[in-house]
Amino acid sequence: MAYLVMATGFILILIGFYGALTNRNLLRMIVAFTIANTGVHLVIVAIGYMHGRTAPIIDSAVAASDAVLRIIDPVPQALVLTAIVIGVGVTALMLAYAYKLYESKRTLDIGKFTELKW
Amino acid sequence: MVNALYIIAAAMAAAFFLGLIKEDKRGLAYTVTLLALAFMTWVSAGWLWAFAVDGVLTVEIFTAGTEPPFAINLRMGLAEAALTLLVNLTGLLSAIYLKDTLLELGRRAMAVLLIATMALCGIILTRDAFNLFVFFELTVIATGGLILFSDANDDGRALSAGFKYLIVSQVISVFLLLGVLFAYHVTGTLNIDGMNGTQWALLNGGAIAFFMMFIAVVAELKPFPANGWALDIYESAHPAFSAIFSAASSAATVFALDKLLLIGGADWLPVATGVGILTFVASNLFALPQTNDRRLLGYSSIAQIGLVLTVLGQRDILGESTEFIAFGLLVSHSVAKAGLFWLSGLVAGRGLSDWSVIAKRPLLVFAFVTFICMLSGLPPFPGFYAKWDLVRLLASEGRLALLALILIGALIEAAYLFRWFGYIIKREAPAEAVVCVAHKVLPVFVAVFAGWALGFVWGELSGRANLLLAIPLLFALSFLLLDWLPAWVKNSIAIVGMSTFFYLTYPGYDPLQLIFAIIILVGGAITLLASYSAHGRRVGFYPSAMLMYAGLAMLIHATDTFGFFAAWEFLTIGSYFLILRGKESEPHALSYIIFSLGGAFMILAGFAIAADGSYHYLIESLRQLEQPVAPWVFAMLAIGFMTKTAAIGVHIWLPGAHAEAETDVSPMVSGILLKAGLYGMMVLLLTMGKQQLYGVELTHVLLWIAAITAFLGNLMAIFQEDAKRLLAYSSIGQMGYALFGLALMNHLGWLMALMFVINHYIYKSMLFLAVGGVAKRTGTRDMYKMGGLITLMPFSFVAVLIGIIAVSGVPPLSGFGGRWIFYNAILDSDYRLPMVVIFLAGPIAFLYLFRLIYAIFLGQLKDEFRQIKEAPFWIVLPQMIYVVLLLIFAVFPGIALRRVDEYLTRFFPEGGLGWATNQITSNYGYWNPVAIMITIGVIFCTLFAWLLFVNRKAQKVKQFNIVFSAERPFRPETTHFAWNFFAPYRKALGFMVQPFVTRFWGGLTELLHSTADFSRKLYNGNGQTYAFHFLAFVVVVFFMRLGV
Amino acid sequence: MIKNFAVFLLLLFVAAIFSALLVSYEPDTWLNLTALYYAERTAVDLGSANIVTAIVVTYRGLDTLGEVTVLFLSASIVGLVLARGKKQEHQQRNLAPAGELLVTGSRLLTPLIMLLGVYVFVNGHLTPGGGFQGGAIIASGVLLLLLTDPLKHFSHRLISALESIAGIFYVAIGVAGLVFAGGFLDNRILPIGELGALFSAGAIPLIYSLIGLKVGAEFSSILADLSATEEL
Repeated sequence: MAYLVMATGFILILIGFYGALTNRNLLRMIVAFTIANTGVHLVIVAIGYMHGRTAPIIDSAVAASDAVLRIIDPVPQALVLTAIVIGVGVTALMLAYAYKLYESKRTLDIGKFTELKW
Repeated sequence: MVNALYIIAAAMAAAFFLGLIKEDKRGLAYTVTLLALAFMTWVSAGWLWAFAVDGVLTVEIFTAGTEPPFAINLRMGLAEAALTLLVNLTGLLSAIYLKDTLLELGRRAMAVLLIATMALCGIILTRDAFNLFVFFELTVIATGGLILFSDANDDGRALSAGFKYLIVSQVISVFLLLGVLFAYHVTGTLNIDGMNGTQWALLNGGAIAFFMMFIAVVAELKPFPANGWALDIYESAHPAFSAIFSAASSAATVFALDKLLLIGGADWLPVATGVGILTFVASNLFALPQTNDRRLLGYSSIAQIGLVLTVLGQRDILGESTEFIAFGLLVSHSVAKAGLFWLSGLVAGRGLSDWSVIAKRPLLVFAFVTFICMLSGLPPFPGFYAKWDLVRLLASEGRLALLALILIGALIEAAYLFRWFGYIIKREAPAEAVVCVAHKVLPVFVAVFAGWALGFVWGELSGRANLLLAIPLLFALSFLLLDWLPAWVKNSIAIVGMSTFFYLTYPGYDPLQLIFAIIILVGGAITLLASYSAHGRRVGFYPSAMLMYAGLAMLIHATDTFGFFAAWEFLTIGSYFLILRGKESEPHALSYIIFSLGGAFMILAGFAIAADGSYHYLIESLRQLEQPVAPWVFAMLAIGFMTKTAAIGVHIWLPGAHAEAETDVSPMVSGILLKAGLYGMMVLLLTMGKQQLYGVELTHVLLWIAAITAFLGNLMAIFQEDAKRLLAYSSIGQMGYALFGLALMNHLGWLMALMFVINHYIYKSMLFLAVGGVAKRTGTRDMYKMGGLITLMPFSFVAVLIGIIAVSGVPPLSGFGGRWIFYNAILDSDYRLPMVVIFLAGPIAFLYLFRLIYAIFLGQLKDEFRQIKEAPFWIVLPQMIYVVLLLIFAVFPGIALRRVDEYLTRFFPEGGLGWATNQITSNYGYWNPVAIMITIGVIFCTLFAWLLFVNRKAQKVKQFNIVFSAERPFRPETTHFAWNFFAPYRKALGFMVQPFVTRFWGGLTELLHSTADFSRKLYNGNGQTYAFHFLAFVVVVFFMRLGV
Repeated sequence: MIKNFAVFLLLLFVAAIFSALLVSYEPDTWLNLTALYYAERTAVDLGSANIVTAIVVTYRGLDTLGEVTVLFLSASIVGLVLARGKKQEHQQRNLAPAGELLVTGSRLLTPLIMLLGVYVFVNGHLTPGGGFQGGAIIASGVLLLLLTDPLKHFSHRLISALESIAGIFYVAIGVAGLVFAGGFLDNRILPIGELGALFSAGAIPLIYSLIGLKVGAEFSSILADLSATEEL
């Protein structure tokens, strides 16, 4: 199960990279990165998964005393939350950039923004 | 001390608070921002003081009331304190610098700046891998924001740069995140120190996980070739942001990488080294053909960080010195680069030559000089100490290839930085003036101050003699403060200072040192008399000249290799600034500094190899060196010293540098500065003596080089039209003679070399002054434009006459003594073939000397010069002193030579001279200077009287007696007798003076430039390509390091 | 085409790296050192039933503060950039009015969505969810409003003040932890109460509520700003 999710995550990352590196449209690139980020999040969640265990919340289902045996690793879950939020922040920033870039040249083609080089 | 967490808390609280302030109350928002940054700076400074002065121990800071590894922890130690101070101070100063921009953009921009600074502190402080990721992402977003604001009133270039940055950052963050998470999975902890204890290699996927973290952080350091995005940012962003990006971000990221390397252990050090050195060399190379100032600074920033990375990668052999070296390079880079970026905001144009607007502002020039010297690793700045120790340790472990790459990279960097400086001083300034507003100038000068202060600190930390406490250097630097005084006051102070220094140190010299000390200090003072002829304030002259003299004085006093090398660097920089003052000297000064630094690096490497790791290495210890290193050390040092004496092959800098220098500078750089190289050779030969490399006697090689140098130097001199260039080439030949004498390695050879040292100082200074005076009056240095000046400039004529008699080595003057000893010395030795070559050089010298006096002073006076007067008094006075000195030295050579002769007996017991009252005897004959003087005097007077007698009725010929048969020559000078004076010889011997060497070095430069120009096309400006580069970089490093 | 192929080829190598990682991955069968500590001690030490929340808000609170700052930063930058861009053109857009269904639906749903959002972050220490989730839900309510009426004017000052005050309180609570308890962001400045109760786990619910408000405000402001670019 974990392997499957993890492999899916990696494939999503690769798809995202492929999209980001081959699409010339800025918005498509941003979407591609979102896909790659989703892949990363999947991989993170898969890392913490442990077969046959449950969510790390102590309630009627999981008593505090046997939490050690019943819950999965909570750390990746906490980290993925942070990662997601940061991803959102970066995406928002990239969108703002795309807007400004479009405003300056009336195009979204990454190949048109190469006046700085060498 | 205040808990370091308050750095982070204060920044965040202030940033959030800014949101409450009304959009139009920007002044208030700005004040809050500055206060927060000042508070953060204060906290860091307090910690730094506590660690450095009070000796407080490193503090671990826990959060959430839970111990690590279960909660995030921070650490505040000496390194963290220093780096956060650097970051916060850069942030604060940039905020001050950005006053106008920030007030225009409003509170949100200020919040972004605050958070950028805070995030960098977080990267430095945190000990948690995932927390590191969070702070990295904060930095990315804040940087993205800052770049976006840069574009507020620009053309969209910064925008595209920022977007490229974000693209690459996205890819980087994927790797970092995966790396951190897998690392957590295999080690069970997120704590960096916790991961540290784990055996990575044995863990499943551990190595790959570490690789991913490592490569992501390395990518933030902008390694070659995955750094196109960074260059675009440097080029387009607001300079104050670039200052943060270059100085603070790089410093923080380097530290983060250092933490990671702690986890990775020794296995990963070679990777860091490889990436670092590749980046260092490639970026410096690419910077060569760069014309945009900020992009050039960007290349340089990347290169410097590459060097720091290399140092971190050498931790296995640098050991405890790693921090001293890495920090030395890092702070030099950060302070200088921040300063330069701030400075670039004061200059309107973006071309390198546009910076010439600052040439009229001495303080800004001083700032620029400080920064480029810091970047080039010159003393007394931290980079110098760091470079010294780095080279020393690399050499001791035999990592010579790395050492060579580092030095080549450093040389290229120095080349483009000093070329830039040449543009500033020499190029025509564009119309726009420098924008000097207080809040923009202040940060620049804080950086200047920090640079010097850090130089002092590193001097104290080095455990060696602090260069900034050396008396000669302090004396030279004090002229920076006195530069507002009129030139004649400063000149007097300089003369008094040098004489006093000589008086005080006089008893401590051995005879060999004494000769050089007299030439440098007393001779220097006499040369300075000529400087009274200058008017005004002469800004910049005295600090440069005194720096050169300080270096020379320190060179003689040096007992260990460190002091020697530092002095060598000082005299090189000082003389470079002096030479650059000449009118057309820009390219010559550049080739001078490049050759000199190249030579200096040979010396540095030679010393380092000789020292074999020992901390203090006395020059005396060179004596104990043995095979197989000894001949190599000898060769390197000899090449280094020969760049200064302008031996053939590395001579091309000399003619231009000496000829283009100002009238009173030429004697300094020719008569005095060249002696530094000879002094070095003497020290080298006295300690190391004869060395054999693959069975070849190295002194024999030297002998050949010297003979060819003397021959070709003289030959080239005869074909010069320019009187000063003629003298300059003549110096090359003369140095060849001196070197030849030394290389003979016998008593008389050395005596002759020392005689040359003294003679060359006197007559070359005198000739340069005389010719300089003539050039000053006539406004030209071309000899065919002069002629017949004997009656108008009689004193100059006398000086030149005496000078050429002395140079040519005919009796009765001291040159003859030199020749006499010289021929004795040759007869003492077994080398006949080079001897023939050097014999041939003698008559050639006659040719150019004759031309000198004939073309300038004899013949017919030109109409336009009928009214000119004798050279100014202060230029004539030292010449007359030299005339007297020459005569005295001619009659009583014993005053100087006798003691030296005795002294030399210690090293060469055989073949000394016999010193009777006024007769000197050798194995082959005797020389009586007094008798010769009288004899020649009598002959001369008789002939002169007879000449006057027979010529009493000679008819005066008027000029323009000759007509051209109605033919008007295309170039009038071609008909002048003094033009192309030795045309027949040129036909016969011209093939020998083809500028092969110049072409060789020119070709090499051209090759470097075109390679760089071609290769940098790699950065095609497309963000996707840059991301591609990064991925390719990851793949390549992965498969090289971890295999399949 | 060649470029795409080169990218494909390169990504094959990247895939090789990933597969090496995948192959070497072995799922844990026991909680590792860190996770074990959290499983055993969270309830006892911090009094939070949701262990993930305890990690997010307290153990790794600094991360979370950074995370909130990321959003703040993005919102500030987006706001500044788009506000600057907006000044030139006036809000003279003629859009077709939203349909009856959408208008009524949003009027009905928005308060409920907001309420759900508040519920989610207030109960963050007890149930799955928390400040970020709650904040995102609130922002989705705002999104609904924007969809209904793209010209709707949100009070930027209100959003911004809310965001700032929440942020300052967050930092202040963190500093209080430093002063009154074991360290920065220590939640034990308030009594940890009884496990599973609404008022328990010390400052965690308070912090998560602040985060919820802040995140909601930030997302809303980003959405509002981005919606202003629609005419392009």
